[in-house]
Amino acid sequence: MRILILCQLACLVAAANAADEKPFVVPQKLAALLDAQGKDGNPVITPEQRANFDGLNDHLKALLSNAVEREIITRPDHLGTILTLGLRPQKMEVFLQDNCVLCHTDPEVQKPESLFSLSPASTSSPAHLNLRDLVDDVHFGRGLSCAGCHGGDPANDKIEHAFVKEWPGTGRGKDRSWILSFCARCHADPTFMNRFNPSLPTDQLTKYKESPHGKLLLETKDPRAPDCVSCHGVHGIRNAKNPLSKVYRKRVPETCGACHADPTRMAGLTLPDGSPIPTTQLAEYRASVHGRALLERGDLGAPACNNCHGNHAAMPVGLSSVSQSCGLCHAGNASLFDGSKHKQAFEEHKWPQCGQCHGHHGIVKTSDSLLAAGPEALCTKCHQQYAKDHPECRATATYFYTSIIQMDQAWNSFGVTAEQLAMKGLDVDAIHDKLNELADSLKQARSYIHSFSKNGFERVAAPGEHAVQRISRLVAEAKREYRLRQFGLLASIALIGLVMLALYLKLRSLER
Amino acid sequence: MFFFAVQIVTGVLLLMYYQPGEATAYESIRYLTTKVPFGWLMRSVHCWSAHLMIISLVTHMFSTMMLKAYRPPRELTWVTGYFLFALTLGFGFSGYLLPWNKLAFFATSVGTDLVKSVPLSGNWLLQVLRGGPDVTANTLYRFFALHVVILPLAFVALISIHLLFVQRQGMAPPLGAKVAPRGMKFFPSFALRDLLLWLVCFMVLLVLAVFVPYGPGIPGMDWELGEKADPLAPAFPGIKPEWYFLWEYQLLKEFPPHLLGMEGPQLCLLVVSLLLGIWAIIPWLDRRAARDQPSPGFSDFGWGAILFLTFLTLKAWDIGATKPVTAASSLKAISSTCAWWTVGAGAASVGVRFLVHGHRWFFLTGAALLHVVLHGLLGLSYLGAGVLAVVLAAIGVTVSVFRSGGAGVNLGGSR
Repeated sequence: MRILILCQLACLVAAANAADEKPFVVPQKLAALLDAQGKDGNPVITPEQRANFDGLNDHLKALLSNAVEREIITRPDHLGTILTLGLRPQKMEVFLQDNCVLCHTDPEVQKPESLFSLSPASTSSPAHLNLRDLVDDVHFGRGLSCAGCHGGDPANDKIEHAFVKEWPGTGRGKDRSWILSFCARCHADPTFMNRFNPSLPTDQLTKYKESPHGKLLLETKDPRAPDCVSCHGVHGIRNAKNPLSKVYRKRVPETCGACHADPTRMAGLTLPDGSPIPTTQLAEYRASVHGRALLERGDLGAPACNNCHGNHAAMPVGLSSVSQSCGLCHAGNASLFDGSKHKQAFEEHKWPQCGQCHGHHGIVKTSDSLLAAGPEALCTKCHQQYAKDHPECRATATYFYTSIIQMDQAWNSFGVTAEQLAMKGLDVDAIHDKLNELADSLKQARSYIHSFSKNGFERVAAPGEHAVQRISRLVAEAKREYRLRQFGLLASIALIGLVMLALYLKLRSLER
Repeated sequence: MFFFAVQIVTGVLLLMYYQPGEATAYESIRYLTTKVPFGWLMRSVHCWSAHLMIISLVTHMFSTMMLKAYRPPRELTWVTGYFLFALTLGFGFSGYLLPWNKLAFFATSVGTDLVKSVPLSGNWLLQVLRGGPDVTANTLYRFFALHVVILPLAFVALISIHLLFVQRQGMAPPLGAKVAPRGMKFFPSFALRDLLLWLVCFMVLLVLAVFVPYGPGIPGMDWELGEKADPLAPAFPGIKPEWYFLWEYQLLKEFPPHLLGMEGPQLCLLVVSLLLGIWAIIPWLDRRAARDQPSPGFSDFGWGAILFLTFLTLKAWDIGATKPVTAASSLKAISSTCAWWTVGAGAASVGVRFLVHGHRWFFLTGAALLHVVLHGLLGLSYLGAGVLAVVLAAIGVTVSVFRSGGAGVNLGGSR
C-alpha cells in the first residue's frame, strides 16, 4: 500500500515537473523564415511543411534553429525542402547535424550538378544527387552519411574529403576493383558490422572473389564486370527487402538482365564449357512458371535468378547441383527422383537432372500429356532414342497416364455434378470430402511419377481410385434422393388437387 | 394470411433445431438442411413463403390503394395494414441474420448502420438494435427474440384488429357503387373459396421449394447458406439487402455524402420518412374519395410510386451493367437500360389506364417517368432530375386543381 502511495506521489511530482517545462519558443530568425512570403505574397512554407515543423520535437527544432543561427539555412525555400522530407526523428537528427547535406541542399550556394534536389530528374546522375535517395539510403538511416564514404567531419564547417583521397586518382571508372575493398572496409569487418546488423553476413567479398564476376573484374580486369554498386547502387542503397532496392526479389531479374540480356555487353563471354553465354535467359524466365509467379502474381516465394545461381558468389549451376537447387523448393519430387533408377541413367549420360525434362530458365507448367504417346510425350521420345530395350517402361508410362487422366476427369466432372446437386438442395458434404481426398491423391500421384516406380505410384493412387468409386455411389444416392423428392412432390400435388376438386364440387353443389 | 400461417408452422419446426449463438447458429442451420429429414424442405418453404408473403402484401396494399378501399370508415384498417406490412419487413430483416452466414452478417451490419442517421438518438438506437457498437452474438440474440417472440406477438395482435375491422365493416364497396355488393355467407361459401385459393398457394409454394430450394438466385432473393460469418473478415463488395429493401439501398446510393448542410443518408432518411408518412395518412388526405368521389390524383400517386420503386429496384439489380460493373460507363449503361424498362412499363400502364379505364390524370406518373428519362436517358443527376420532375408536377397539379376548382369539372371522371 505504501509503495502504491509512493508511486502515485512520484507520478504527481513528474507530472508537475512536466507542466513546468516551457514549450519551445521559435527563435526570431527561424520564425522569420517560417513566415516568409514569396513574390506572389503567399507564404513560402506550405501548410504541409509547417505541419511537419510543428511535429518536430523540441530537440530537433533547436537543431534546426542552430543551423539557421549559423547561417547554413538562410532561405525559406531551403528550409521548405528540408521540411518537405517529413523525416522520422532519428533521421532528422542525422540530417540536421550533417553540414554536408545541409549545405548541398541549398540551391543558392550549390551549382546544379552538386545540388541534392527532390526533382525526379536528379535520379539519373549520381553527381546530381536525388535527395530522396540520400535520406532513404540504408546507411543514412544508421547515421552513416556523406562523410562515411567521402570523409571529412560533418559537424565541421571546413570542407574535407579525407576518404576521397584514398580513391584512385585516375582511371577510377576503368578499373573498379578499388570499390570492392572500399565497401569491404566495413562490410568484411564482423566486429564493425555487428554494431549495426549482427545477422548480416560479412563474407560477401570472399564469395565475390570466387565468382566468375569477381574473377572477371579482379583477374581479367574486364570493365564489363559488375562490382558492388552495379547491383546495389551508389547513393540510395536500400535494404534488399525494400521494394525500391535493385536487389529486391522482384527486381533481381531486371538487375541481372541489365547485363545478361544485353548481347553487346555479353559478347565474347563464355561458360565453363567454352560455349558463349546466352542472353535469352531473362525473356525465357519472364515467360516461365517461376517468372510469372514472381513478376505477374507478385508471389515472393517464387525464385529469382539468385535463388539458383547465388548472390555474391553467382555462378552457373553445376550439373550435379541442378536437382539440389530445384530440391530446395520441390523437395518431395527431388527426393523421389534421387531414389529412382533414372538418377543413375541421367548421371551416365551427364544430363542435368530436373532440367533435362523441365528446362532451365523457361520452365513451363507441366501437363499430363508429357506421359502420353503424343508429340509432347517426353518418356517415349527419350526411350526410343536411348532405352529401346525396356518395353515394360512404356507400359508403366501408359499406366501412369491412364490412371492420372481418369482421376483428373473424375475430379472435374464430379465437381460440376456436386455443384448441380447442391443447387438442387441436396447434401453434398460427403461428396466434397471424397473430392478432397481425390484431389490429394491426384497431387501425390503426379508427384510420384518422379519415382518412375509402378509400386510407389500405385500406393498413392489407390486412395484416389477408391474415392472415385465412392463418389460415384454418393452421386447415385443423391440423384435417387432427388427423384424421391420429385415423386413426393407429385404425390402431394395430386393429393392437394383431389382435395381442391372435392372442394370445388362441394361449392358447386352448395350454390346450386 | 395463408403464408403467415405457413411461416408459423415451418418456423416452429425450424425452431426445434435452430440454436442461436455465434458457434451454433450457422452449424445448426447447416445440420438442419443437410441431415434432418425434410429439414431442407422446411427451410426452403419458410424462405419462399416469406418472400411470397411480402409479394402478396405489396399487391394487397397497392390494390387497396388503387380501389380507394381505405375510404372512411376504413382509415384505421389501412393504418393497421400499413403497420402489418412494416412488421413483415421487420420479420424479413431480423430473420435474415439468423443463419449467421457471411452475406447476412455484412448485410445486417450495413442495414443497421443506417439507424445512425436518425437525428440525436441515432447512435443510441444503433446500440440498442445491435446490442453493442458492432454486430455480434448479442445482435443475433436480440434479432432472434424479435423474430420469434416480439414480432409474432405484435403481428397476431395487429392482424386480429385488422381482421376485426374487416369483419365489422365488411369489404369496401367499389367507388361510387350505388347498389349494395353481392353478399356471401362466410361459411361455407367464402371459407371454402378461400381454402381453394390457399391450396393453390400451397401447391405453388411446394413446387418452388422443391425445384428452386435456394431461391431464384437474383440479388436479394437468394438464401443459399454459403460460408459462415467471420466478423474479422473484410466486408466484400456488392453487399445488397433483400429485394424489398433494394429501392431504399439504391436511393441511399443516389445521395451525395453531404447535401444542404446535412449528411446524405440523413437527408435520404428524411425524404423516405416523409414519403412513408404521406403513405400512412392517405385515407385522410384523399378528401374526394372520402366523399365517395373519384380521386384520380391518388390513383396516379399509386402508379407514380410503383414506377419510382421499379426504377430504383431495377437499378439496384445492375440491369444493363457492363464490366467492370462499377465503372462510370457501366453506371451510365445501367441507368439508361433501367430507364428504358421503366419508361416501357410506365407507357404500358398509362396506355391501359387511358384506353381501358378512361383515366385522364397523369401528372404524377408523368413526373416519375420524366424523372427517369432526365436521369437515365439525358444523364442528369438522380436528385437534380427528381427535383425538376417534382417541381414541374407540382406546377401541373396546381394549374389542374385551379382549373377544375374554378370550372367545377370532374377530372376526366376517372378513378
